[in-house]
Amino acid sequence: MNSSAGRDRRRFVLLMLTPATVLLLGLTLVPFLVSLAFSFSNLSLVTPDDFAYIWFENFGRMFESPEFWNAVRITVVFTIAAVAVELVLGVGIAALLHNETRAVPALRLIYLLPLAITPVAAVFTFRIMLNPSLGVFNYLLKQIGLPPQDWLGTPGMALTTLVAVDAWQWTPFILLIAAGGLAAMDEEPLEAAQMDGAGPFEIFFHHTLPMLYPYLAVAVVFRSIDAFKTFDIIFVLTGGGPGIATRTLNLLAYKQGLEFLEMGYAAAIAIVMLIMTIIFSQVFLRRINMFRPKAAL
Amino acid sequence: MGEAARQPLKPLSPAVRVGRFLQPWIRRLVLWLFALWCLFPIYWLFTMSLKRQVDAISRKPKFIFEPIWDNYVKVLGSGEVWLYFQNSLIVALGTTALSLLLGVPTAYVLARYRFTGNADFGFWILTTRMTPPVAMLIPFFVVYIRSGLFDTHLGLILAHTAITISIVVWLMKGFFEDLPKELEEAAFMDGATGYQAFRQICLPVTLPGIAAVAILTFLFSWNEFLFSLVLADRVQTVPVGLYNFVGYQQIRWGELTASAVIMLTPVLLFVFVFQRQLVRGLTLGAIK
Repeated sequence: MNSSAGRDRRRFVLLMLTPATVLLLGLTLVPFLVSLAFSFSNLSLVTPDDFAYIWFENFGRMFESPEFWNAVRITVVFTIAAVAVELVLGVGIAALLHNETRAVPALRLIYLLPLAITPVAAVFTFRIMLNPSLGVFNYLLKQIGLPPQDWLGTPGMALTTLVAVDAWQWTPFILLIAAGGLAAMDEEPLEAAQMDGAGPFEIFFHHTLPMLYPYLAVAVVFRSIDAFKTFDIIFVLTGGGPGIATRTLNLLAYKQGLEFLEMGYAAAIAIVMLIMTIIFSQVFLRRINMFRPKAAL
Repeated sequence: MGEAARQPLKPLSPAVRVGRFLQPWIRRLVLWLFALWCLFPIYWLFTMSLKRQVDAISRKPKFIFEPIWDNYVKVLGSGEVWLYFQNSLIVALGTTALSLLLGVPTAYVLARYRFTGNADFGFWILTTRMTPPVAMLIPFFVVYIRSGLFDTHLGLILAHTAITISIVVWLMKGFFEDLPKELEEAAFMDGATGYQAFRQICLPVTLPGIAAVAILTFLFSWNEFLFSLVLADRVQTVPVGLYNFVGYQQIRWGELTASAVIMLTPVLLFVFVFQRQLVRGLTLGAIK
């Protein structure tokens, strides 16, 4: 390649990357640096005049508090459970839908509804449906002779219910991406495997699924990032309760920052959340080898 | 996708084997059970929009009741819902356009060109989605007030784009990686520049992918709550506007749910339009 082509190439790459880079630097780097500075300070909106940098005191206090470790545990359990349910359901339904011939447009539209409805309205509707005495879920249970449940009242049940509601809202997201991957899939390897006498299960698990991995990896990474910082569902349905049984890191940060107005401490929690997410995604993406360009020009 | 659109794929039947290990009627049953699970809460929300406040939260949930349209009349009559709708439409369409405009080229270069720091750049884009909103909101707020972006459509579009661009880049990167590179190599032989190869060869082929990503971006922006609440005051989007019906004392169930139902229509319309785009792109792919 001669040098003028090399220069053109570099200029093209630069030109394509610059606009997005400028926007993201402007909009995300500044807020990040500000909250990093906050996390090393004792900034509290109750006593804003006492501002001082206390360096790692916030982090020390956090790591010593059992509340923090409880929140870490709940956040991790919630994230893993929700993403696992959504992944299995989303991929399974996408595979079945790929094969279906009847009423596919209708089904696809219905599947998108939980993603399309305004979450504020949906989550409050869930709150009334889950109400132990007024709710329709317990009413239906009674009709078929089962005992009513205290959906949000006991620690284990509350977390399970939250996972179910999150799965209701977000399974369509995985479903949409998996369906896109299936539609774009190259079908020849499947044909070849079938010629070799592979059964449908084998074809699905050994050929179809691996070809979907790149798409699913992206879906899982994004869903995990978002599930890790879920706020609205938990805030509206349990507010972190009963007790602190569903108080995730994000709710803890919200409580410290916007209720107790301890911005420094809240920022420290947020920074720890960010570091945890970065480590998780680095490990995950390296493990599945997402970083290499597959067919570079 | 209609019957006709699927037909050309039929003769290739092995692909159809993806889920063939179930009897058709079991498959259909599972699909419709999942549909029921998706639909039931929405159905319940819809019935609440046709009930009086007392019936919406009555001790015995009512399946059979006399529907009233008062909630819809009240919501549509007040005119506020149109403002929310307008704001959300401007913000969501603006966000979708800007995210695709900035994100798709980035994704293409990341997928196709080797350069120093390619992987790190991709990961950095991903980290922009990771920061918890609690940490972002106050700095955002301060910057917005100072720069005059507070309470403007442009301000919300920029904030939403910052949230959605990472997903556009990472999803589109996957679609571009799946293209055989012979596509562009042939174009280069014919003397095309890098930009022409991207614009005229790769972009049209990835149209179904772009349609899917556009739907997701639109939905993320249309439903975004926290940033829209904090970064604007009079420019209220649909989720923020609907939140007005949730008072400290009581929730105005009828108006809340009726507005939610009304606001679902434009979204479904948008999805429908892009779904057609999706089908068109797919059939193009099948011919290729």
